[in-house]
Amino acid sequence: MAKANISPHSIVEKGAKLARDVVVGPFCYIGSGVKIGKGCVIENNVTIVGKTTLGELNHIYPMAVIGATLDGDETQGVCHLGSANNLREHATIYAGSAKQPTRVGNDNLVMIACQVGPATQVGDHCIFANCTHIAEEAIIEDYVRTSAFSFVDRSVRLGAYTFTAGYVQVDHDAPPFAMIQGSPYRVRGVNSHNLKQCGFGEEDIRSLKRAFRELFNGSGEMKTDALEQLASDGQANQYVKTLVKYLQACKPGEGNDV
Amino acid sequence: MSKTSPSQSNIHHSARVAPDATVGPFCVIGPDVTIGPGSVLGRRVTVTGNTTIGSGNVIGDGCVLGAAPQDLKYRGADSLLVIGHNNRIGRNVTIHIGTEPGGYVTRIGDDNTLLEGVHVAHDCFVDNGVHLGRVVQLAGHILVRDGAVMEDMSGAHHFVTIGRYARIGPRTPVRRDVPPFTNFFTEDYGWTAPSVRGVHEAGVASAGLKRDEELELRRALSELFEDESALQTKIEQLENMGVEGEAAALCEFCQQSLAGKFGRHRESFRGQVPPEAIAILSPEKLAAIQRNKK
Repeated sequence: MAKANISPHSIVEKGAKLARDVVVGPFCYIGSGVKIGKGCVIENNVTIVGKTTLGELNHIYPMAVIGATLDGDETQGVCHLGSANNLREHATIYAGSAKQPTRVGNDNLVMIACQVGPATQVGDHCIFANCTHIAEEAIIEDYVRTSAFSFVDRSVRLGAYTFTAGYVQVDHDAPPFAMIQGSPYRVRGVNSHNLKQCGFGEEDIRSLKRAFRELFNGSGEMKTDALEQLASDGQANQYVKTLVKYLQACKPGEGNDV
Repeated sequence: MSKTSPSQSNIHHSARVAPDATVGPFCVIGPDVTIGPGSVLGRRVTVTGNTTIGSGNVIGDGCVLGAAPQDLKYRGADSLLVIGHNNRIGRNVTIHIGTEPGGYVTRIGDDNTLLEGVHVAHDCFVDNGVHLGRVVQLAGHILVRDGAVMEDMSGAHHFVTIGRYARIGPRTPVRRDVPPFTNFFTEDYGWTAPSVRGVHEAGVASAGLKRDEELELRRALSELFEDESALQTKIEQLENMGVEGEAAALCEFCQQSLAGKFGRHRESFRGQVPPEAIAILSPEKLAAIQRNKK
């Protein structure tokens, strides 16, 4: 399979399905179970193995690895990447199993030296800053922003629109719309900057701020009675309702590590 | 012909690689790259973008130099990465080119040590004799002055300035300017902000100061950072006393940081070409940047 846009220095195994216009730089290795969609650019020294599918228009930078496994047969790992993701240098996405594949949504920016663990679910429009480490089976919802050296423990859920400060350790479920900091983390407030960018109204942000003040009040520990009070408020804002529903389901602060 | 592994590395025909530079196997060198004499590139090194590497540099395996910035304001300009001479760059180091609105150039000076996994982002200026420990992450627009030491896993917020011969402790998040000759770290790694904790002795020793100057600097440091309250008044007192040399430079540094947003002097260069870049770029280039801004 000699194509003009695939470097002769690269190895593309028989059985790999690459769309016609996929660009593959030199010294890449693409395993036999890999499918790559239209318009993807794979730069040099990239490794893609396992039963891995890439959507369209993904840009994979040098030295990134997709479908890596920690143990077992590397051809059996399953990993699904959506479209329009940017995977920067030295980023690693581990493969899950056929039962529990690793899934990364669309339009995510995974920066340098990030690790996305096996069987992790990542939503859409996330930005992970350098050296963000996400352990296995974590769930990262949409529009999450992490700072450098954020550590997400295994089986933890990170709510939508949440921002994590640098060096944070997310050791139990983190609420949506929040700004979290520290190790172990505490809730600092509402991620209003990100919410504004994502087109939230002033009134929505104000009601979220009020809810966060009642729930966490700077200490980072959630007050259960405040949660009950908010849940019984029939006229609460839709985002506050989402927040309350989320907190009732996961009870952050008590640790739900498997 | 340079000492390369020709069949095992991919060097663009228009790249300028010095005859006695060494390029290891599985390296990829882009078209606009210049590599100076005596530089040694390890295995799997990628050098792309508009990158100039001086002489006598040792670049470890798996480095990626001159890739596009991780910044949404980057729109594909042919901006620069300039690396000086005699730097030791460890494995898996990543250094990005500049962005056009941020000053167009990322610069690493001479005699620096960058250990494994270091990241230097767009529009950073790393001066000379700087030590960056393992996995140190520098965000964009940072200035690291001569002889500064950043220990393992420390990281700096964008627009931070790290003063001459300052030391950042291990695993320290730096969110504001660090004054020269100080020790800056945190003890509980997270909830409380790191702060200045005493003098960086090794820094003072290696700066080669005259005895009088050193004494004056030490006095200024202890007066300013005994506790960090009322810094502004204390600086003014010192300046009224007529301090000179390094002590005066320290006062000026603190003054500028206090005036800057969030304690970061370089915040005032947001969206502008900083003076360090003006010194490097040609007048034509600067005029072009100004034109493109409009």
